[in-house]
Amino acid sequence: MLLIRCPHCGNRPEIEFHCGGEAHIARPETPSEMTDQHWAEFLYYRTNPKGMHAERWQHRHGCGRWFNALRDTVTDKFAATYEMGSPRPDLAATPAPARTA
Amino acid sequence: MSEISVKAVHAFDGLITPVGETRPAGVVVSERTELALAAVLARKRRAGDLAALVANEFGCHLPAPARRTEGRDISVVSTGPGAWLACREAGGYGFAENLAETMQGVASVTDQSDAFAVLRLTGPRVRNVLAKGIHLDLDANVFLPGHAAVTQCGHVGVSLWRLDDLAGGDAAFEIAMFRSYAESFWHWLSVSAAVYGLAVAAGG
Amino acid sequence: MSQPFRRSSGGHIDRTQPITVSFNGKTLHGYRGDTIASMLIASGSHLAGRSFKYHRPRGILSHGSDEPNALLSVDWRPEKGEGRRDPNNRASVVEARSGLKTATQNHWPSLETDIGAVNDLLSPVFVAGFYYKTFMWPRKFWDKVYEPFIRKAAGLGDAPEVPDADRYANRHAHADILVVGAGPAGLSAALAASEDGSKRVILADEGFKLGGALLNDVTSEIDGKPAAVWVEEMVAQLDARENVIVLPRTTVFGYYNHNHIAMVERVADHRDNAPDGLARERLWQVRASKVIIAAGSHERPLVFENNDRPGIMLAESARAFINRYAVLPGKSLVVATCGASAYRTALDAKAAGMDVKIVDIRLGEDCGPELAEARSAGIDVLTGHTVVKALGTKRVTGVVVAPLGNDGSVGTRRTLTCDCVAMSGGWTPSVHLFSQSRGKLAFDASLDAFLPGQSAQEEVSAGACHGIYDLSEIIADGYKAGGSDTSVSATATFTGFQPVRVLPTDADPKKVKAFIDFQNDVTAKDIKLAVREGFESIEHVKRYTTTGMATDQGKTSNMNALGLVAGLLDRPLPAIGTTTFRPPYTPVTFGALVGPSREDRFEPVRTTAIDPWAVANGAEFEPVGQWRRAHYFPKAGEDMHAAVARECKAVRTSVGIFDASTLGKIEVVGPDAAEFMNRIYTNAWAKLKVGGCRYGLMLGENGFVMDDGVVARLAEDRFHVTTTTGGAPRVFQHMEDYLQTEWPDLDVFITSITEQWAAIAVQGPNARKVVEPFVSDIDMSEGAFPHMAVREGFICGVPTRLFRVSFTGETGFEVNVPVDYAEAVWKTLYEEGRKYDITPYGTETMHVLRCEMGFIIVGQETDGTATPDDVGLSGLVSKKKPDFVGMRSLARPDMLLPDRKQLVGILAKDPNEVLEEGAQVVEDPSLPVPVPMIGHVTSSYFSSNCGRSIAMAMIKGGRARIDQTVWVTTPKGFTEATISTSVFHTVQGEKVDA
Repeated sequence: MLLIRCPHCGNRPEIEFHCGGEAHIARPETPSEMTDQHWAEFLYYRTNPKGMHAERWQHRHGCGRWFNALRDTVTDKFAATYEMGSPRPDLAATPAPARTA
Repeated sequence: MSEISVKAVHAFDGLITPVGETRPAGVVVSERTELALAAVLARKRRAGDLAALVANEFGCHLPAPARRTEGRDISVVSTGPGAWLACREAGGYGFAENLAETMQGVASVTDQSDAFAVLRLTGPRVRNVLAKGIHLDLDANVFLPGHAAVTQCGHVGVSLWRLDDLAGGDAAFEIAMFRSYAESFWHWLSVSAAVYGLAVAAGG
Repeated sequence: MSQPFRRSSGGHIDRTQPITVSFNGKTLHGYRGDTIASMLIASGSHLAGRSFKYHRPRGILSHGSDEPNALLSVDWRPEKGEGRRDPNNRASVVEARSGLKTATQNHWPSLETDIGAVNDLLSPVFVAGFYYKTFMWPRKFWDKVYEPFIRKAAGLGDAPEVPDADRYANRHAHADILVVGAGPAGLSAALAASEDGSKRVILADEGFKLGGALLNDVTSEIDGKPAAVWVEEMVAQLDARENVIVLPRTTVFGYYNHNHIAMVERVADHRDNAPDGLARERLWQVRASKVIIAAGSHERPLVFENNDRPGIMLAESARAFINRYAVLPGKSLVVATCGASAYRTALDAKAAGMDVKIVDIRLGEDCGPELAEARSAGIDVLTGHTVVKALGTKRVTGVVVAPLGNDGSVGTRRTLTCDCVAMSGGWTPSVHLFSQSRGKLAFDASLDAFLPGQSAQEEVSAGACHGIYDLSEIIADGYKAGGSDTSVSATATFTGFQPVRVLPTDADPKKVKAFIDFQNDVTAKDIKLAVREGFESIEHVKRYTTTGMATDQGKTSNMNALGLVAGLLDRPLPAIGTTTFRPPYTPVTFGALVGPSREDRFEPVRTTAIDPWAVANGAEFEPVGQWRRAHYFPKAGEDMHAAVARECKAVRTSVGIFDASTLGKIEVVGPDAAEFMNRIYTNAWAKLKVGGCRYGLMLGENGFVMDDGVVARLAEDRFHVTTTTGGAPRVFQHMEDYLQTEWPDLDVFITSITEQWAAIAVQGPNARKVVEPFVSDIDMSEGAFPHMAVREGFICGVPTRLFRVSFTGETGFEVNVPVDYAEAVWKTLYEEGRKYDITPYGTETMHVLRCEMGFIIVGQETDGTATPDDVGLSGLVSKKKPDFVGMRSLARPDMLLPDRKQLVGILAKDPNEVLEEGAQVVEDPSLPVPVPMIGHVTSSYFSSNCGRSIAMAMIKGGRARIDQTVWVTTPKGFTEATISTSVFHTVQGEKVDA
């Protein structure tokens, strides 16, 4: 079971959390002006990378807050968790924890 | 407004009963039946005003996430950033109403007095019992008096906080859950505490 | 004499506590401290089971949890009745206690005489991939012939047939350091790690006695003390430390993400007088900052013909039986080895009075000091010899050996008679847990083993599992892992071996059964066949031959299999790799994993404040999500059909009372509440007046109906939202998601009030009369309190949010009161209602009544692919709002196709026939299969009010098919039905537009 750092509550076990898929996909300001294709991309198209992935997580069975996390989809290591609205951290700027894969 | 003409039934009425060998008991339980509760959510950009108001009105700090504070005739438990559960003994349904008026414009207040069932758990083996249901580290040196957590216990969502130790040195916790889970939670508690003995303390 | 092979003294057994155990109906004698295996050996027998495929007689191979052969069915408390037996217990680790009832497995009619042994003679048939090759054709044989045969033959042991009668406990724990294994490395690591009293240390060992391999050791000294004394002193020190939890009988079976460790502690099985209620086992879930793995190593068998005969065991195991359990595995021992460690066994056996010979594959000059020591002890050592085969069937009677020439040729055979063989093919570090932690293994050619390489988590390996075999180095490695540089002086250990995959033989390898994997009956021949047939990946070889599977997970067999495959493919062993190690390390009972969450406590049950009244009044219940809801209230002699018919009639003709407390309720509060509601719901909310209610519809961003419910406006900035029972958490989280992540600037907050307010629905023409007498501070007149309105006041003096709403079509009130007073208010209303023959009704009647009115239930009519228009609710979708969640998706071309499934009524031709919910609907049943389906039935009931069956369906282009004849599947074939509108009942009097 993963141990996930909620930005508000600290390290908590995975069962308290809910993963909400890829992060940094903002709902468009004016959906009605979008083409069907662009709307479909917003709704359904995701990157699904192997490696570092920015994800939305919610501390659902805890404080209820949504936050973002950088998780390596290969090792399940979390490189960072950060509050909603913050930009994706630049891992190159701050040394990441040792990778193993 | 008229007098209440019917009788209240509390969440653990008919459930709460001693289990196992209780002389002495490893765990002592009581239901906090008269605790009035209100969800307090700070309005946008008014968290500072709310903190000042709480300090003035009740003489206590608005607790940071995962903490609980006590003031005059009130205790406040953090349930997340910008969210608290305010508690007053014997506050009645007027508690949330009055709080809403007091906090007008700086917080949204919703009565939760009957929504949560609150148990107080003490006794020398209280941590052993909680460790059967709660993932968090409740070690005496890790989860201190004044600490609080929203988590799960035996698959039931709970808010948990630690009070000051009792005079005899036993730890004391209070655990709040949505009322509809009371029966299931009691089943979990009575099964988990049976081996240590579970006694019922008089009154909340 | 009941224990002819018991030594007169020594061993870690308590001779003051004699015990007896039932073994296949016979009585075994022994002492506390014994295992079933040691008691069996004390009796002079090794026969402990039949093999899986060939039903060959099998003995005891090992003294640990890696035992592949001696699997027992054990009834742990036969005196307590059924439900306490489980299969596949390894005789080598079952802690013996008087009263255990054990039986061997995999034979009929008996262990000694097993009909299945004919498979051994038929073995040319049972080659690798036998099942894949045999059970292919003809197709019609699959169900009737092949499957029963495979099911009968498959699996080890018999699964219990009754529910587990025992209780299982669980516990979460947190540790700074978790040490796995209490051998010399683990004890040292735990002692060093716990030196700092602020560090919490847990030491877990799967055995019932701590000490690991030192328990088998009667000659080594550590710092001048006998090994056993050193162990006792270490354990005593650890026990005395308050920051250390020492857990014997505790198997670490799973190493999961972020140092989440699962282990199972055997709490009760070994106890003579386990009190009632004591849990049998305890599941520990530990989150450790650091894990020290000191799991030891596994000895490898030698691979030669008939190496599986009873009496042949691993060399270290022979030593364990002789020294730890004080039983002799026989009178005359041949030690067959390719390494040094087995010499210790030979020396100890000799000292114990056995007749001992050593056959060493290595040449004399390749041996270490062990050779001279053995010879000086008077032991015959044949170096440079191979074992060609073992003799005997149910017990080994001798081994055929032959000298090896320099060119690898096999010389003249000779027979060594014996009644037991101790073999050693070298050592395999136990890297299971390290590998489970996702650490990378690295092959060490000098040790012929995979060792822990790069870590993926906070752990470190120490001792033999780290590839260190000398005792003083093992202890130093343990101390180091625990953070100390302590060193000790200890007796030097015989180490080193020359790996051999299959012993050289002059026999035709095609006719030889030399076992690699004892548990799965995989021979060297099978592996060769698999490779010859093109299986080169070790993962494929494993699955094709089944080597390394089942309860022992190949602990003893893995390296021999890998080495053999590497040799056959002429590739270096690391290029072959190793199969993936997965949890559990050893078998775990389901009971331990499930703990107390079983049967009706599988998940929590939520009950309403009215539930005790419903129980007392004979309700039948149904689960709705986690809620327990009253389904219907049968009177004496009534079945569900009769009860529901009566309840439905009562609501339409007088008054019914219904517990609606489970409906989700959310308070939406804040200056921007109306704006938020506008964005979340399809409806427009700005014009809803305070005190008014509106039926709201909510979509997912994909445009599909997500939930519905009545929404009341309590104040300009306060809405009381209701949701479906099952949808409540989903709706709340949906709102939270948008509030927190998309519209953080909206000044609005949501709080679940589902649990604060109980809801009592009073429905029917007499509803007002029942409610009115108790209400204060609310004008109950029709003009002042119309349909779809909400008022705040008091009922019985209790605060209420009184809704004038209806989900039945009749006049209706929903009395919301704080939960503490709900039962009392319900009882008051029920007493008053007796004047009108008030009828409590359950969810079934609620469903029928709303179906009569054509009201949908989200999740029943909708399935996550229905738009508002599909279910006839396009009128609820605002055309004026610039945006709301799901709006853009409604404009996608696919959402506007004319042949989308639409909600309609469907009436069976036979008015007494109730269609099946979920039944498929077709236009023409005479078309060839597969008949094109045009939709399905979503709700179906018998309506006493309509005097016939009624149903709703989602039908392609349904609204254009009204009055069309269609056909509906039933278990007996198709039945005829007609498409209709979905409103079946007209309420007299009051106009309802809910």
